[in-house]
Amino acid sequence: MAANASAISLPARARKRDEEAELVRLAQSGEEAAFEELIRRHQQRVFGLVNGILRRREDVEDVVQQVFLKVFVSLKRFDLRAAFSTWLYKITVNECWDYLRKKKVRPLVYETDLSEDQISRLDGAASAERPPENPARRAEVQDILDQLLDGLPERDRELLVLKEVEGFSVQELAEILNVNVNTIKVRLFRTRARLMDLYRHRLNVDSSHPAAKGRVKSDGSGI
Amino acid sequence: MEAEFNKPACLQFEALLEDHLTGELSNADAAKLADHLESCVACTSALENVAPSVDLLRALSPAADPGPGFSRIMMARIRQELSKLNEQKSIWQPFVSLAWRFAATATLALAVLVTFDAVRHNNNPDMAYVRPSESRELFPDPARIPANRDEVLMMVAETNHGK
Repeated sequence: MAANASAISLPARARKRDEEAELVRLAQSGEEAAFEELIRRHQQRVFGLVNGILRRREDVEDVVQQVFLKVFVSLKRFDLRAAFSTWLYKITVNECWDYLRKKKVRPLVYETDLSEDQISRLDGAASAERPPENPARRAEVQDILDQLLDGLPERDRELLVLKEVEGFSVQELAEILNVNVNTIKVRLFRTRARLMDLYRHRLNVDSSHPAAKGRVKSDGSGI
Repeated sequence: MEAEFNKPACLQFEALLEDHLTGELSNADAAKLADHLESCVACTSALENVAPSVDLLRALSPAADPGPGFSRIMMARIRQELSKLNEQKSIWQPFVSLAWRFAATATLALAVLVTFDAVRHNNNPDMAYVRPSESRELFPDPARIPANRDEVLMMVAETNHGK
């Protein structure tokens, strides 16, 4: 998804930004249709962002609605100096963090190691070219991965999921989180390392495990 | 071998290693990283350690599309919230206007009082006011400053009697 975003040519991006600025101006002057169009354009990304942070909690849609409500109320204060999307995503991230703080949601920690059956499913997911097609099996693998992700520090997990699952680019994440691009990359790399440590620990395998070793060779020897 | 996986990568190459994993490495950086990896065991093992994460995370699916109806639902919610807000405003409106009226009346009353007091002060000749020069006439001897009200009355009586 990130690659697609960067593939858009510069003039097209500038045109899109102008168009969006015009929509924002119309919405600021009270045009409801313009605001509805802004929602339509960004709803998928906002859902992705909220889902990436809250992770399939039932309240995702409520939080998204709250975000757009806040944006509508404070739209007149938005001065168009930054891109509308950046401003919107910042509000979204703050709303998610507020939600987590208010609910005092703690990430679940799974103490037990995974079963043999879970191990083989996860191995399959790690070595597959494409994610499993069967929805039930896919959900199962996602569940196991969720257990692994829950072992990561909250903010690092959010970053990894937003980048790898929801398709936000490093540049977008840097803008949304007000952090340097290089810092984001370093944090992502370290979080991956932590995730793989958990993966190996939970699977009770060392580097000689066929699944881990096989993937390491195929992905790490690219240079 | 387990210990090798725990070796941290060189700080200045971590960002490049991340770019390499996601396929976003420029040609110049790729050459620089390749040179480094030839001689750095820590970075090579760190890269090998994290490489499977790319495939692993691919198994997670992104958020489902909320569908075309979401924006309409959202606009309906916004209208509902706005009307609620207006209702709340209209409930408090009589109290707000009453409070403004009260504040205006109080200010006016205060202004009238102050003005009246100032005018009365200027026009009342009986108002006790002693200029510094007059105090010397009343009490010519600074050594005999009256200690209480009776002494003052006595001194005034003496002064008038002398006249």
